[in-house]
Amino acid sequence: MKNTQKQPGKVWLVGGGPGDPELLTIKAMRVISQADIVLYDSLISDEILDMLPQKCTRIHVGKRCGAHKMTQVDIQKLLLTSARKYARVVRLKGGDPFIFGRGGEELEYLQKHGIEVDIVPGITAAGGCAAAAKIPLTHRQYGNALMLDSGHSQFGEYQKSQSPTRVFYMGVKQAGMITASLLSEGLSDSTPVALIANGTLPDQEVHTGVLMDLPFLAERYSGAGPALIIVGEVAAFAARNQVQAHGEAVA
Amino acid sequence: MSNSHLPLVINASRARFYIIGGGAVAARKVKTLIDTGAMIYVIAPNIDNAILDLAGDRLTCHERVAGEENYRAGDYVVLATDDKATNEHQARLARNSGAWVCRTDEPEDNDFSFPAVVDRSPLKVAISTGGATPALTRLVRDRIEAFIPTDYSRLGQWLESLRLRLRSEGTSKERGVFWRRLMQSQAPDQVLARQEASADKIVEGLLSGEDISAGEAFLVGAGPGDPDLLTFRALRLIQMSDVVFYDRLVSPSILSLLPDDCERHYVGKARSDHAVPQDEINQRLVDEALKGRRVLRLKGGDPFIFGRGGEEIQQLAEAGIPFQVVPGITAASGCSSYAGIPLTHRDHAQSVRFVTGHMKDGTCNLPWSELIHPQQTLVIYMGLVGLPEICSQLIAHGMPAETPIALIEKGTLPDQQVHTGTLATMPEYVAGRKIQAPTLTIVGSVVSLHSTLNWRSG
Repeated sequence: MKNTQKQPGKVWLVGGGPGDPELLTIKAMRVISQADIVLYDSLISDEILDMLPQKCTRIHVGKRCGAHKMTQVDIQKLLLTSARKYARVVRLKGGDPFIFGRGGEELEYLQKHGIEVDIVPGITAAGGCAAAAKIPLTHRQYGNALMLDSGHSQFGEYQKSQSPTRVFYMGVKQAGMITASLLSEGLSDSTPVALIANGTLPDQEVHTGVLMDLPFLAERYSGAGPALIIVGEVAAFAARNQVQAHGEAVA
Repeated sequence: MSNSHLPLVINASRARFYIIGGGAVAARKVKTLIDTGAMIYVIAPNIDNAILDLAGDRLTCHERVAGEENYRAGDYVVLATDDKATNEHQARLARNSGAWVCRTDEPEDNDFSFPAVVDRSPLKVAISTGGATPALTRLVRDRIEAFIPTDYSRLGQWLESLRLRLRSEGTSKERGVFWRRLMQSQAPDQVLARQEASADKIVEGLLSGEDISAGEAFLVGAGPGDPDLLTFRALRLIQMSDVVFYDRLVSPSILSLLPDDCERHYVGKARSDHAVPQDEINQRLVDEALKGRRVLRLKGGDPFIFGRGGEEIQQLAEAGIPFQVVPGITAASGCSSYAGIPLTHRDHAQSVRFVTGHMKDGTCNLPWSELIHPQQTLVIYMGLVGLPEICSQLIAHGMPAETPIALIEKGTLPDQQVHTGTLATMPEYVAGRKIQAPTLTIVGSVVSLHSTLNWRSG
């Protein structure tokens, strides 16, 4: 519906989860099924886009690493102009808006301009991929902590951590750097690692190995889809927890 | 008010449809029909390009006024002009020839009408009030749209090709029994979970007369509390479980989604007061699945983030029991969203660390020196009891005493409270209040955004 009143519309920042449309939350579905306009990322699957109302305006705003369709500032401006034009604006993101989703910046910008915002959390890639690959992110046997990093570090180095499980988002291109950084922290080169590409989607790939192999695993996975790296003893569970009935072999 | 309308399904590819009118309403009907293979004739003095562009083998356009000679008995005629007199006149002509009429402007005068359709081809759900209240039709359509996962299309195609295969192979004996047992087996669910190979095995087992009665386990994250934050997969599996083992953090409104005859077991856990020890839970999941049941392990948050799901699946995997893990919104996501505290933010934190503040021996033994990094957000699960120690240790290891900290009480629930302060002030603040579990603590400069970003306060 076009927003004919003077009052601006409302913006929902919605986490679309890791890709599998069944991992949308009920709240996310309700919000997107009533949207007048949706600004969505590359990581949103076609099946989720199919659920949008027919009359809803769809705008693809990026982003794939290396090829941003729009800058973050452009997206924020577009959200603002959309809210002035439409009653129900949805910003649909892969994963969770507040974990490497830049939802905080969008929320800040919109609130500064007096726009009402609602936030719908989503399954973050770490949770989705771990469940799909059957890798528990925390496990009592290995200490109880988890660290999530963005694969492209803005500081040229990754934080030191003895966290038993470390997850790197969008880290495939930086796999060499991540490996070097972790080794220099004293992590053993035989620490288990898993690289999960297209996690939760039909073409999911799980590659497992040890830290030393990580750059090689990343090279072997040259696909365009999103990928997540899990480092730590728990990564070895990917191979262990496959029950025969589920058939698919894990590389 | 009328009860006279009845949804029927026609094979549109064997029917002829006349659309009288060339505007937006006509275009919508053409769109509805065009993929069915129906023969479509659009007749109107002026026809929109949107329709003309679609013309081809099965769609012809005639820019003129329709006459009685166009209509034949059994044709379907849709009157979609914006002129009532024209529609009435054409309806008369069409009926004189024995055609069926749909009036888009006067639903009371319809011989047939188009229901709203939820399309999961080959499955189609038709919703109709016979034109009495399109608003209700729309509402129900949206609800059903949300309720039937798009994967049902996949399941439909799988079942359809199976049916065709069986027919061509001529396996006719006890066909009804086969389908009933197949639909009660895990096969449909496995197809929905994109595990066709497993489903095919069940089919082969049933066809060879083998008894497929092995159970299955679902480890499902129920999210942080708000039932709206359940995923569709969680909802689907909850609704088909035979027996459930659930935690204290699973809200009553989520439990109300279980089937009436689902057997319920409460297994804890209030802090250090496990109703059932973990080893016993692991074993009971296996035992119930071995009875051939669908066993649901329902946990607050995410089963793999401090949920001890790892231990449960280890035992299931060792016992050879098929299982699925369904992620849930972890408390950190739910609470950060509902409190307006982003966990990562370009200006504040490039990484986020989840730790648990609850130790078996009652002390917190955390790698403090790593936790004080300024560019990261620290999220502490179950940290209420240890909060004074956490604050003093972080300060002792070099984190500034004025670092902001938020304690989120009953996150995402209607009575959520967000308490904020600094490492220096929070212990005293908490001591003076009765704070109720569950709680989640967030430490780091992102917490400073709460005062401006707290979107739920307005």
